[in-house]
Amino acid sequence: MIRVQGLTKLYAGVPAVDDLTFDVESGKVTGFLGPNGAGKSTTMRMILGLDRPTAGTSSVGGRRYVDFPAPLREIGALLDAGAMHPGRTGRAHLRIGARSNGVPLARVEEVIDQVGLGGAAGRRVKGYSLGMRQRLGIAAALLGDPPVLLFDEPVNGLDLDGVRWIRTLFRGLADEGRTVLVSSHLMSEMQLIADRVVVIGRGRLIADEDIAGMLGGLGGRRIRVRTPQVDDLANALGPDVTVTRSGPGELEVGGLVASEVGELAHAHGIPLHHLAEVEQSLEEAYLSLTEGEVEHQGQVLGALGEGASA
Amino acid sequence: MSTATVVVRASRAEWSRIWSVRSSWFLVAAIALAVVGLGTVAGLDVANNPGQGQEGGGTAWDVAGFTTMFALFGTVAWSVVASTTDHATGAIVPTLQWTPRRGLLLAVRSTVITATVTLVGAALVAVASLAVRAVAPGLELPLAEGARSLGDTAMVLACAALLSIGLGLATRSTAAAVVIAVALLLFLPVFMGQLPYEWAVTVAKHLPGSSALFLILGNDLFDDLTATTARLTLVSWAAAALAVGGRRLVRSDAT
Repeated sequence: MIRVQGLTKLYAGVPAVDDLTFDVESGKVTGFLGPNGAGKSTTMRMILGLDRPTAGTSSVGGRRYVDFPAPLREIGALLDAGAMHPGRTGRAHLRIGARSNGVPLARVEEVIDQVGLGGAAGRRVKGYSLGMRQRLGIAAALLGDPPVLLFDEPVNGLDLDGVRWIRTLFRGLADEGRTVLVSSHLMSEMQLIADRVVVIGRGRLIADEDIAGMLGGLGGRRIRVRTPQVDDLANALGPDVTVTRSGPGELEVGGLVASEVGELAHAHGIPLHHLAEVEQSLEEAYLSLTEGEVEHQGQVLGALGEGASA
Repeated sequence: MSTATVVVRASRAEWSRIWSVRSSWFLVAAIALAVVGLGTVAGLDVANNPGQGQEGGGTAWDVAGFTTMFALFGTVAWSVVASTTDHATGAIVPTLQWTPRRGLLLAVRSTVITATVTLVGAALVAVASLAVRAVAPGLELPLAEGARSLGDTAMVLACAALLSIGLGLATRSTAAAVVIAVALLLFLPVFMGQLPYEWAVTVAKHLPGSSALFLILGNDLFDDLTATTARLTLVSWAAAALAVGGRRLVRSDAT
């Protein structure tokens, strides 16, 4: 288990991480979400002892990272796929890691095969694509077969096959009882991978709950229904039901399940052309949670043009 | 798990770091070419001009002594590259993930780099002396003098390596560390020693380059150096630089 308690990091007096407290449980994939500059990478770096916290503590299995004599056997981490010597071969990079932690060199070949690096392991890292560097970084994280794993944006640069592979890998690692903390901007991926999410914004904790709880926080289940008689249907649904017009001939209904809406329409002789639950997404939940927490925000070109001409 | 085990593992990793990049092999080749090549040329010059070598000192060690300067520059370059490359490439992140005890990493890194570059440098100077002897058979190669000469050479190279590593860790910049090291070891002692100010001469006298030149070539720029003070000066500079660089490695964020 990873425990973060009151973790704070100031850069020139400006908080990058601000009194952050959360736990990452074993046997689950925990998504670590937040806008750019929210402090996700800084938090991970502090957990790994790379950055010194201004205040607070972090521990893995009750111990500080720096206290592990062979940390690769306790925690595997991929923070930055570009953070390796470009003139070294992938295999040499992994062998250095293995030697530094007393991992048998045979394990290097195992993880090379596991991440699908194959023949590329003998080539210098400067010739690697971003996806290959990610795979090499993941191989390094798996080298000591650790019970705790941290990944910072691991699907960056991976092709579709790679993304599917990593999805299966993370699920498998969690199912083996390991602790997996993954940061990512890809909400659709996190919805598929994560059991639980920790959301931060401007260095502060915004949410720490399981995926179902996050989605439930959007206002519960909604039903989308299309009919040529929207007014009749709205009246038939009754006053206790939340009804909003989401398009021409289309309503979104809250407070009922799809079968109840169908039965009510049938009872009133109202024809339905479409009846389905609205797929709630982690992206919507994330956006509603992090609204106002985004450090850098773009503008649409039209708005820029208007501003320029004003 | 004992600290000794961690030290041994970290040392093996550090050794692999040095030899798994081409820059190390290129530097060794360049130093070998300069030291052995120029030593051989000097030997040929003595062979073609009988009496010159004997007048200059009489032994192959003396004729090849100047090649230590090239070994010194090679030592500086190699030590700086080896100590800054992690920071220049971002590889300090996996390095500290794998060996998070920074004080231990500092001790291992400085020891392994210093031992490697010193042994290679001193060995190449020895080879250069043998090459001089091979092309100028008239020159003698006394073992006792060789041991003393190579001992001083190794001492100067080791201190230069530690100084360079300290500067590399302090600046985290290859270019900045090389410039500062070369200035301290060569440029400033000669330049400041020529200035018509007493304070400049006093400063120059205490720079590591003055002591290195004295121990390597026997050149006393200020006529009051002794082997003991020269060694003490070199060790002090190396220790100070390593303390500053080590403090940054141990206390600063990993960048």
